[in-house]
Amino acid sequence: MSLYFLVMIISNISLKNFRNHTDTHVSFKDGINLITGPNGVGKTNLVDAIHYLCMSKSFVTASDSYVVKQGESSFEIHANIAGSLRQPFNLSCIWNRGEGKKFFVNDSPLDKLSDLIGTVPVVVLCPEDKKITNEGPAERRAFLDAMISQYSKNYLADLIDYRKILRQRNSLLSSGNTRNIFAMIEAWDHQLAGPTARIVAKRHRVLLDFATHLEDNYAQISNIRLKPTFEYKTFCEPTDEEEAIKSAFLKKLEENREKEMERQLTLVGPHRDELVFLLDGMEIRKFGSQGQHRLFALALKMSQLTWYYDIMDDLPIFLLDDVFGDLDPQKIQVLTNFLNNHDGQTFITSANISPFNGLIDFNSDKNQSLSVSAGPEISGSSN
Amino acid sequence: MQITSETLERAIEELAKLPGMGRKTAQRLAMHLLKREKAEVHRLADAIKDLKEKILYCESCFNVTDHSPCSICRSPKRDQSVICVVEDTRDVYVIEKTGEFRGMYHVLGGVISPLDSIGPDDVRIKELVSRVNKQDAPVQEIILALNPDAEGEATSFYINKLLKPFDVRITRIAHGIPMGTELEFIDEATLSRAFNGRNTF
Ligand SMILES: [Zn+2]
Repeated sequence: MSLYFLVMIISNISLKNFRNHTDTHVSFKDGINLITGPNGVGKTNLVDAIHYLCMSKSFVTASDSYVVKQGESSFEIHANIAGSLRQPFNLSCIWNRGEGKKFFVNDSPLDKLSDLIGTVPVVVLCPEDKKITNEGPAERRAFLDAMISQYSKNYLADLIDYRKILRQRNSLLSSGNTRNIFAMIEAWDHQLAGPTARIVAKRHRVLLDFATHLEDNYAQISNIRLKPTFEYKTFCEPTDEEEAIKSAFLKKLEENREKEMERQLTLVGPHRDELVFLLDGMEIRKFGSQGQHRLFALALKMSQLTWYYDIMDDLPIFLLDDVFGDLDPQKIQVLTNFLNNHDGQTFITSANISPFNGLIDFNSDKNQSLSVSAGPEISGSSN
Repeated sequence: MQITSETLERAIEELAKLPGMGRKTAQRLAMHLLKREKAEVHRLADAIKDLKEKILYCESCFNVTDHSPCSICRSPKRDQSVICVVEDTRDVYVIEKTGEFRGMYHVLGGVISPLDSIGPDDVRIKELVSRVNKQDAPVQEIILALNPDAEGEATSFYINKLLKPFDVRITRIAHGIPMGTELEFIDEATLSRAFNGRNTF
């Protein structure tokens, strides 16, 4: 294909007290940026900083108090970013113990964290991705929600509203005030129904498109021809008819009224949706081997990227943390091939450069190889 | 700053409790008051005291007033058959400033929020129902003018349900795009709601 793509590029980044980086400045190339070095010197932390700046959180740890360098009370990330649809801009994050985090676009603060999501779209592939198929439904919902939220601000707004209304409704159900529950529950049902219908319809529509991406990418990466599929399970037959979802939802809530009062909890809704992944009709969570979980996760993330190609204005940034060590030579070749054809910016961490010898050209203008040593000290090793 | 007067410290502490007031601002304010004329400071102190001692809630609409019923409820020029339901006194001021509305008000004094332990009995909904139920001055229309957030909407839903059996028209104010605002500056939630509430051109 000779279509030209529009891309999001991080030109450089500066870190202050971000994990083990006291004061780090790095410039990046538009294509593939390989970051090598021994374990524990901070290569993952460097790509984690990029993720933090795009998604307002670390992909390594859930708590910001582990993100700040030990013994420090604040951290900062600053980056210069170029996108095709807008002037180059700088994006910063400043975190203080006590005040939390604040994001800035060209030095003006973003009102809400949710305003950040989607500004610089990102896809991350890391060893923890096995959880998506290996663990409970919450992991799969989190994958789906993060994927759709970067593309649709309305979806993210609906998720935020939904969670807030859900907390109100659960608080009413657990208040112990039966008279209030009977008087008010219907009002909260209707509040919940709007975001519910939009979330379910959106998940359904996105998954319809996503299915072909998953099939194509799994076929590319796996040489055994197993067909990956999934079933989206919610409280009703999935559809994109919002009114139909709304009335099915209200009916289900009515049916579960007694059970919900007994359990003091909302038992119906998109917060309990399940996405079942299958390989040749067999549920991967129950029957998948370690290798199949790893390949499936890889195919999911490649599909997230190729789905974004179809729908986003700018190609997202692709982060691959510590994934090449586990792959056999044939899969390394398929994945590097995928990366060489990917017109967006890519970041790879790896213990050393050897898996890429003869596969990725780090002497080209587009790519570079950086090495991190204790300190952390970062040096270019390509030119 | 080393504080050498307990009286000053107490004033700063009390001022710092006010909304939007940090400790630094409270210190600056206390030092400022200290330098003003005695009479001026007394006037301020009296005005603050009177807030609690002289201001009442109107027995009919629950707006704040110096005399109950309030001037709006007593006015013969206003339409007694229309009641606009608002969350608090601030909203009455905002609507009055438009000069557009010539009916009565009903101030709920809050909205229902289970997370804050505010149920239907903690806001003045019963009082609204008995106003509608009164035989002598029939109410024809109730306008719900609560905030378009989840709590405001849930409260509106509940009031609508309670008032359904009565012979009264229930309406709500339209939520949409503020005048003179360009589309690109409107947040998605407002814009979506404006789309959902669109009407024929
Ligand atoms: Zn009154």
